[in-house]
Amino acid sequence: MKYFQLLGLAAAFCMALILSNTFLCHAYEDTQCFQCHTSAKKLIEATREIAKTRPALKSSETSGEG
Amino acid sequence: MEPLAPHEKIFVDSDIVDDENHGEIACHECHGGNPDDPDWKTAHKGVVKDPTYPDATTACGDCHDEINENYQKSLHVSLRPYKLIIDKRASSNTVIRNKLGCAMNNHCSECHSSCGQCHISRPNSVEGGFLDGHLFQKKPPMQEVCTACHGSRIQKEYLGEHEGLSPSIHKQKYMKCDKCHTGEEMHGNGKEYAHRYDVENGPKCVDCHKEIYKREAKNVITHRIHKDKASCHVCHSQPYNNCSACHVGKDKQGLAFFKTKSSWFDFKIGLNPLKSEKRPEKFVTLRHVPVDKRTFDFYVKDALSNFDTLPTWKLATPHNIRLKTTQNASCNACHGNEALFLLEKDVEDSEKEANKNVLVPVNLIPKKQKWQPK
Repeated sequence: MKYFQLLGLAAAFCMALILSNTFLCHAYEDTQCFQCHTSAKKLIEATREIAKTRPALKSSETSGEG
Repeated sequence: MEPLAPHEKIFVDSDIVDDENHGEIACHECHGGNPDDPDWKTAHKGVVKDPTYPDATTACGDCHDEINENYQKSLHVSLRPYKLIIDKRASSNTVIRNKLGCAMNNHCSECHSSCGQCHISRPNSVEGGFLDGHLFQKKPPMQEVCTACHGSRIQKEYLGEHEGLSPSIHKQKYMKCDKCHTGEEMHGNGKEYAHRYDVENGPKCVDCHKEIYKREAKNVITHRIHKDKASCHVCHSQPYNNCSACHVGKDKQGLAFFKTKSSWFDFKIGLNPLKSEKRPEKFVTLRHVPVDKRTFDFYVKDALSNFDTLPTWKLATPHNIRLKTTQNASCNACHGNEALFLLEKDVEDSEKEANKNVLVPVNLIPKKQKWQPK
């Protein structure tokens, strides 16, 4: 009987460990960062909006091989 | 290289959660920002684009502690040789040096790399962008990372993109950069090198071609005769790209720019300016580098008043190696062939003094041979 109790306890412990890891690993999937940066549609909209206001970052006067 | 579309640069592959090493780290742990803010504009307040530069300790150091220990001394991060070389050519005047420092910050310092700019994204100098949806790349992809920066010379030479020239034989054997340039070399070993050719674990041809001096080896006589006299590249490189002057400045909007004059193909053997135990050869291939006395004139005149302390024709290891080349077709394809050597007449008057130690006096050109090894 004691043997089965121990076995059950060990199994429960393992299950808890696996489940907690799964939830921990993927906890950030629900964050705004992840939701937006894995959606091409959202990124296209955001980057278009940025492009409207952001000035050029590179000079057009650069010429020749670097 | 063509930059990625803005949204492609920051698109994250959701498979990142399956990365057993990095998948547990939440975005904000490295990049900052507010992960709970639904408004992306305010959520990005305080976000760090590349959390691995200039210090990778927080982002990478906890796990990759050995690599991180040497990070600041890796030449890809420190750019130390660049700085030392400009420093040697620079005026000793403090005011001029300060202005030169400002110019270098605007134009030269962006050419560094970082952990992130090799293993996660393209380098900033080519406008960045994730390599594969922010999935970590153990081996940085050659054409998106290495040749993104080392493009106009190394890439075109190695891939045979110059008209009339063949790719390196190593390319045709499907070798990527990391076959010769190992991770250890890239990450540094903690020593502060003054030149990339000083790096102890840098590539050496004989690391792979161990047999060339052995009795039974093909061409053993030729290799033994030329050992320590001519570098491997002298016999096995094809012509390569040489660059002329580079000038830097800022446009009307205050954006930094550079302008290089025309480049040209040439193959020039000169005297070894970096003779050492590791590189004892008398003759090496030399390449003209894009520097000029007036490179920094936009910022300050006479910034490089000690220009002549270093040659403008520098030791080069062109990446277009072939077994058979024009100059190794026979002994006399090279011996007595003045056109292959960097002579005084090949150098502009304004650069003669700078190059005096690498020019080959006519009497040092190996004489034509009557005897040829079989």
